[in-house]
Amino acid sequence: MSYDLFLGCVIPARLPYLEVSSRKIFEKLGIQLHDVDGFSCCPDPTGIELIDHNTWLALGARNLSLSNNNGGIISFCSGCVETLKGVNYYINKDVTVKKEVNRYLQKVGKIYEGKTQVKHFAQVLYENLEKVKENVEKPLEGFKVAIHYGCHYLRPSEIIAWDDPFEPTTLDEIVQALGAESVEYDSKMECCGNPVEKSDKDLSMLMIESKFKDIYQAGANCVVLVCPACYQQYEFNQKDINKKNNTEFNLPIFYLSELVALAFGFKPAELGFNFHRAKPDALFEKVGFKI
Amino acid sequence: MSVINFGFRNEVIKHNASLSYCYQCSTCSGGCPVALLTNGVYNPRKIIEEAILGLQEKLIESQDPNPWLCSTCQKCVELCPQKVELTEIFTLIKNKCFEKGKFPEAFLAQGQAVLENGIAIPYSKAILTRREKLGLPEVKTAPVDEIQQILKVTNFEKNILKGDK
Repeated sequence: MSYDLFLGCVIPARLPYLEVSSRKIFEKLGIQLHDVDGFSCCPDPTGIELIDHNTWLALGARNLSLSNNNGGIISFCSGCVETLKGVNYYINKDVTVKKEVNRYLQKVGKIYEGKTQVKHFAQVLYENLEKVKENVEKPLEGFKVAIHYGCHYLRPSEIIAWDDPFEPTTLDEIVQALGAESVEYDSKMECCGNPVEKSDKDLSMLMIESKFKDIYQAGANCVVLVCPACYQQYEFNQKDINKKNNTEFNLPIFYLSELVALAFGFKPAELGFNFHRAKPDALFEKVGFKI
Repeated sequence: MSVINFGFRNEVIKHNASLSYCYQCSTCSGGCPVALLTNGVYNPRKIIEEAILGLQEKLIESQDPNPWLCSTCQKCVELCPQKVELTEIFTLIKNKCFEKGKFPEAFLAQGQAVLENGIAIPYSKAILTRREKLGLPEVKTAPVDEIQQILKVTNFEKNILKGDK
């Protein structure tokens, strides 16, 4: 089984350590990820699309046109997946959109028919859940995980066409397959607030604050997520939230690939855990996880 | 006083006919996390109402409510009993705001980055070193001139340069 790897911008150019665990787990699962030359920004469905929808369609279609793999494209980023699936959706829904997009692509000698399949890496993990279970060497006992699905992993459901838009289970099932416990919390399905940071930082902070409060109250000892925008929102704001509210939140924020990699037996040092702001060492010690 | 702009109204409906189905039930606002936190100051129902009525000035010029506060969580789209494609309509409104130079600065910065580099976050020297240390392969991104050619025909370049005053 193989896929063309669409890296996007945030993970490779800002959070490369998240790319490390993501690549390692698929190698271990025997699923090949091909690096493809020439991808641009996906482009960002919470940024570039809001500047100009047609540009978003055109650059997205150009990216999709570069994949020749029958398995299609895999991405580690929910934003990239939403964009690429969204562009497919609009192109296949409306022939005039398809014509218009190809008029843009013609200028650079490209053409896109709308046939490239796109999958989120968590979807591929879920589709290989038995294989994931077989590869668990160190079950994550004692990990009480607050799962943050994030909006763009699920919605709009007509475009994403994966899991349930309000009552999803895929990430819970993956986390449980690793031997960890998924902890329910009130605002589990709420937005992290990252996209509004560009417009209103205070509002964006309010959104993530309420999530942290609920997660703490529910007794979780770490957070897991599948989107680099959500990751930054949690990881980079925890300190400021503490300063503002006199709280002592100190939750390790894991990318799903990192939890999988830990359970597969990879060492924190080879996964670049030193780049995390909230270090997971205390958690490992508390639950007796031998590294 | 609000003035109805019929041309604008027709343009939005032509772009997305689902606008006409809205019967103003407010299910969208009830599920909106930003409406909740702003005490309804941001209010998706109201944006749709103004779009139906063609109140271009309110939506684009005075931005009341401010469409840029939408977190794009897509809950409203999912919840709408009339299947109004709210975020698609909001995207059109924001595109129009951008054309008119009414946007938060951070959007321009992202647009400039894509225009100059083809990617939203250029690879810094420090990141390239870090990637190498982490054993990650070199990333060969799109030829910038190819991306710029596309951005010229879509009006992106024009709008970004216009926005940068």
